[in-house]
Amino acid sequence: MATDMIALNRPVLRWAARARTIPDIEKELSRIWAKQDLTTDVDGAPGRHVSARTNVMNLVVVARRPEIAERGAATIQALTGLHPSRTIVVQPADPDGPSWLDARIEAHCVMPVADAPETCAETIHLIAGGESGRHLVALVTPLIIHDLPVTVWWPGEPPFGTTATNDLFSACDRLVIDGSTWGGDGLARLGEMAACAETTGIAVSDFAMMRQSRWREAIASIFDDPDYLPYLRSVRRISVTYGTHDETGSPGSTNIIKPVYHVAWLASRLGMHVVKPLAPVPSPAKPTKSKSSAAPMHRGMAASLADGRADVAVVIRPIHSDMPSGTTLRVELLSERRGSELRADVTAEADTVHVRVWIDGVEALDRHFLAARRGDVDLLAESIEAIDRDAVSYGTLQMAAQLTGAHSRGHRSA
Amino acid sequence: MRDLRESREGRAAKRPSRARPTENVLREGLRLERVPDPSILTLFGATGDLAHRKVIPAVYHLWRTNLLPHEFVLLALGRRPYDDESFRTEVRKTLEQYSRVLPLDEAAWRSFSHRICYQRLDFDDPRGFDTLAKRLDELDQTEGTRGNRLYYLATQPSQFAEIVGELGRVGLDHERHDGGWRRIVIEKPFGHDLESAKRLNREVGKVFRESQVYRIDHYLGKETVRNLLVFRFGNGIFEPLWNRRYVDHVQITVAESIGIENRGAFYEETGAARDVLQNHLLQLVSLVAMEPPATFEADALRDEKVKVLRAIGTHPADPFDEVVRGQYGAGWVGGEQVKAYRDEDEVDPKSETETFVAARLNIDDWRWSGVPFYVRTGKRLPKRATEIAIQFRAVPHHLFRHATSSEPDANLLAIRIQPDEGIMLRFGAKVPGLGLDVRSVTMDFTYGSSFNVDTPDAYETLILDGLQGDASLFTRADEVEEAWSLVDPFIEAWANGPPPGFPNYDAGTWGPPEADELIAREGRRWRRI
Repeated sequence: MATDMIALNRPVLRWAARARTIPDIEKELSRIWAKQDLTTDVDGAPGRHVSARTNVMNLVVVARRPEIAERGAATIQALTGLHPSRTIVVQPADPDGPSWLDARIEAHCVMPVADAPETCAETIHLIAGGESGRHLVALVTPLIIHDLPVTVWWPGEPPFGTTATNDLFSACDRLVIDGSTWGGDGLARLGEMAACAETTGIAVSDFAMMRQSRWREAIASIFDDPDYLPYLRSVRRISVTYGTHDETGSPGSTNIIKPVYHVAWLASRLGMHVVKPLAPVPSPAKPTKSKSSAAPMHRGMAASLADGRADVAVVIRPIHSDMPSGTTLRVELLSERRGSELRADVTAEADTVHVRVWIDGVEALDRHFLAARRGDVDLLAESIEAIDRDAVSYGTLQMAAQLTGAHSRGHRSA
Repeated sequence: MRDLRESREGRAAKRPSRARPTENVLREGLRLERVPDPSILTLFGATGDLAHRKVIPAVYHLWRTNLLPHEFVLLALGRRPYDDESFRTEVRKTLEQYSRVLPLDEAAWRSFSHRICYQRLDFDDPRGFDTLAKRLDELDQTEGTRGNRLYYLATQPSQFAEIVGELGRVGLDHERHDGGWRRIVIEKPFGHDLESAKRLNREVGKVFRESQVYRIDHYLGKETVRNLLVFRFGNGIFEPLWNRRYVDHVQITVAESIGIENRGAFYEETGAARDVLQNHLLQLVSLVAMEPPATFEADALRDEKVKVLRAIGTHPADPFDEVVRGQYGAGWVGGEQVKAYRDEDEVDPKSETETFVAARLNIDDWRWSGVPFYVRTGKRLPKRATEIAIQFRAVPHHLFRHATSSEPDANLLAIRIQPDEGIMLRFGAKVPGLGLDVRSVTMDFTYGSSFNVDTPDAYETLILDGLQGDASLFTRADEVEEAWSLVDPFIEAWANGPPPGFPNYDAGTWGPPEADELIAREGRRWRRI
């Protein structure tokens, strides 16, 4: 066992073992904590007391490739102090070969404050070869700590809709995903994920949605002002501009899950329904050329919503940008109420979101919100803090699926 | 027009009304705190100790964590001849000494420093307030702060009324019809006794409405104190036990190992009863004993807290029977020899100021009748510790009396507020083996282990609440007056009574023997902390 000196809040490996069967893994897990007065020796002298384990949840990471498994484990270790979890990193391998298991069991500890007992949590790195790697739920279920919530983090594109995936998700409370990394425009998979959430009851934390929280905060702030609040129920146009690296910005070339989430969030919060799902905006008969001699930029996608009183036009359009492809660059709202018009323009620059509002053409608000972009560690931490399904995320996801035209069987209560 | 026409035709009632929306539905589910409105935090006493140790570091941390609006200004006011630039240099030094996260985040500091302005102001000089009003208007124009102002009085208490009066005279209290709000934060001590507290409330009330006044008791901003509300009202299993049927008594301790730390003149005028009992301790009592509020809104919470204080007042304590005072003599604390209170600088060698107070409080209401609340606070006690202990009643029948060598202790719930914030539940368990020995064991929740998070300082919480207009954790005028009405009688009795025979406890002990006798009279003892 390692006997390193421990720095504040920096995880240190305190235990490591290997096993090749699930019962052996369970035995090793018991052995770690059976030694009640686990202490570390420092320079030959009796060292500090290592606290009993602390677990507030189970975290399952499904990594299809070794480098994803390593990256996932590193992210989780950064959370050891904040969210001590039993972490099971599952890496299926050699699907056509014979079944085998190779597990590395580790305990990492952090010292939250000077002189305090250490807080420790276990990580199980599990490589499952052959058929066993296809039955994830059979691998995971015996290893989770009962009565604690189970979150599954799946970097990449899960095969939504398969029996094995549905079985796993049915045994878990929350799925953590990043829809903005999916191939193509991502919309088909978005529909599959919404259906999966409905079928299995799993709550979904999509980093693509969570990264936009600073936008949502800024947009919501407009209507904190009692003078602007009445306009909230009279939104008539939602326009989202996103960046693309594709010279034509043609539909399908860029993942547009993030801009779609913006529209879906507004639509679901404001009680709108989809009249016409997103479809490419037809090109004009005579396309206008952009400044350069390159092909003209596509006009994006359009949809039609309704809020029970009037239709709401939706446009999601690309512009060429050096920002990561699919990044939201601008959200514009138009509200009309009793002959008066509110126009809002929200943009983001580095760590700031900029909100401007005009009432009947006269600038009425100009605010900056300080909000840093968040990394995977922050997003994962936020995801696993929320265990139950929240109505806003669920409503946004289902609305996003409806916007894409995916068949939805209607909302279930969150 | 359509409404008018339909109204004339008597049809309006048949159509579903389109009520004016009253809530921002986009707010639902947002995890981020609402960022306060653009505003100026106007800090009176900005060159003083409190401002440098607590207020300015707290504002910096709020800025660092993006919890302040982009359009924000810290306008520092003081007598010393700084300008914006030289005061920023001072603030930098302050943060390097008192910031709870070091080294400083250079990018955050750079942007924060541009938000700091300094205005020289002699609080006795009315012309200075006219200049202040102009400066604030200018800042609104140049920084986009839109007339929203939080005045923070971190000055000597004797200057509160004067400053408030001047703010009123130059119209800085007026909230603008287009949304510019004005709030004032007043530091404790709020008054010296009931009469002075009422007087100050009257003076403040002449200028500001009660809803604009935020009286700060930093204890209420502490994470564990706030968690007390969550613990009581966010869990289903504790509240049913939280009453006279199951609770034997409650002990609340606010112990300090330090002395008066060069504040002799201040402490001579104050003493432990005014400094801690009247505010921190009674606030903790009211949070422990209050009924569940209907909502988690400022007035609902404060209504319930006031009811507790009023219930204490229905059975006045005999000042010499239910309250014990003490003053420390020389002794040893933490391995160091320390001098007696009377030997401290700026302290009268014959001082009768109490550095320790313990009291037995009765809360005469349906829930707590017959359950004593023992409270104690003191300087130069063996350790720094603040704790609330709920001592439950023993089991009605000792089933294991014959099998065990000693009676198991009754259950106890201890809520540690500082240090090592956490909650401990003690219960009996069988000792492993063939016999049937029962021993007390503890279930221990430590904040640091379960939430290894960057816990905000109480001042950060409270300043942010003030900027957001949430007064839940601030005390209301009637709370302050009720608390003084409890403390005043025995302070007055002490002043008119026989000499107290000070010093009556050694530094490094848990107070005078009379404090032990106070609780021992009823067959109980103070918890060993």
